[in-house]
Amino acid sequence: MKRIIQPIFQHYWNPYLVLLLAGILSALYFGLTSTVWAVTGEFTRLGGDLLLVFGVDISGWQYFDMVHLQGATWNRPDGWIVWGMFAGALIMVLLSNSFKIRLPQQKRRYVQGLIGGIIAGFGARLALGCNLAAFFTGVPQFSFHSWIFIVATGIGTFFGAKLTKTRWWKGKPSLIRGNAKPTQLKKRIIQPYIGVVIAVLYIGLTMYFFTSGQKLLGLGALFGLAFGILIERGQICFTSAFRDLFLVGRSIMAKAIIVGMAVSSILTIIVISIYDLTPVTQIAALSTFVGGALFGLGIVMASGCETGMMYRLMEGQLLFLPVFAGNIIGATFLAYAWDHLGVYNVLVKGGAKINLLDTFGPIGAISATLLMLGGLYALTVYGEKRYHRKLAIKRGMNIHAS
Amino acid sequence: MQAKLEADFTLDLRGESCPYPVIYTLETLEGMNKGEMLQVITDCPGSFRNVPEEAIAHGYKFAQDPVKNGQEYLFHIYA
Repeated sequence: MKRIIQPIFQHYWNPYLVLLLAGILSALYFGLTSTVWAVTGEFTRLGGDLLLVFGVDISGWQYFDMVHLQGATWNRPDGWIVWGMFAGALIMVLLSNSFKIRLPQQKRRYVQGLIGGIIAGFGARLALGCNLAAFFTGVPQFSFHSWIFIVATGIGTFFGAKLTKTRWWKGKPSLIRGNAKPTQLKKRIIQPYIGVVIAVLYIGLTMYFFTSGQKLLGLGALFGLAFGILIERGQICFTSAFRDLFLVGRSIMAKAIIVGMAVSSILTIIVISIYDLTPVTQIAALSTFVGGALFGLGIVMASGCETGMMYRLMEGQLLFLPVFAGNIIGATFLAYAWDHLGVYNVLVKGGAKINLLDTFGPIGAISATLLMLGGLYALTVYGEKRYHRKLAIKRGMNIHAS
Repeated sequence: MQAKLEADFTLDLRGESCPYPVIYTLETLEGMNKGEMLQVITDCPGSFRNVPEEAIAHGYKFAQDPVKNGQEYLFHIYA
């Protein structure tokens, strides 16, 4: 038993494998429900729920109509995707005994997290999707808005990475001479037991949904759980995909995400043609670009996107509480600005829902998508090589100088 | 656990989230003299992978294998 348990809980899983599984599961989830794996739409609804609690009249807000703000989060399949992801991540953290309250030494991180979270929440909803619906699950739906979003997010992330490198932003770490003592270990290990209890309760709840005829809630709860398990075990950080390429020439996350999207695209087109489903298409407009760029900047400022912050919060990284709050504040503010501040008229109205399937047909759409992903992969490899070439030149000059 | 190594400097990154552990580690190593040894204590799960992998990718050598200490990791890296 130990031989099976150890690799599952004592090591993080290979990101390629995890994103491959996530790509397969999201295509399957689409086939079963005609909706995609997404989180920020639900964050906007949570913001709407909160406004209602505080007695704000939101009946005239167009954005809440558009995202179908109905019922409570417990009665929405998208809500269960979010709670399932939290549950799945928490169960994995506990089973692997890796929960710990982690408080940043740099107090400025809380402010950075809140501001970054707000910008990312606002940008994601302006663009109609985060790293999921406008990226990882948007590309496989052949929704052209995700193509614009990728470019814009890359640009936003580039400036975010520049900001991260400045002295006043990153702060000075605690560097001391000699050895420091590691943390004294606790003898009693109780986390895995709590993990098992939560897992049993959650599976019970999921079974209740299915047996009481609430199939969509059950599927949301089940797939949410699976996605939560995957992002935690694979440490799937969408924020790091572009950012770390700019910061330290690290490319593994970007490559794994691209591979996962390619597989998911192929499976989705098969699912669409067999079951004759309509892909989920969002408006491609100036708002997609502006939103994507803001999102890219915001997630780097906050150190995590709407997806990544979920498993980090469950690990006990309390920095992600202000990030989560910021995401909801930003999304809710966008819902307000949509019609009240004229965002729709200025940035969205001129756009259109463009789906590659309608434009190029199935063969053209999948070919174009795979070609784009191939190009993205090549750019990633080029970025990594370029970083290390520059590093080698810099080192060579230092040796000459000394 | 292996025999205790004497580090010249220790970077205590407990509590810091990604990407700061990897940025701090690489910058500190760059500022140290060649042959000096840096101990890194970190508890951000993302850094368990990106700190050692990037230290090696940036041409630094490990003095010993990474040590898992409960919810944190200890790295010993030569500048």
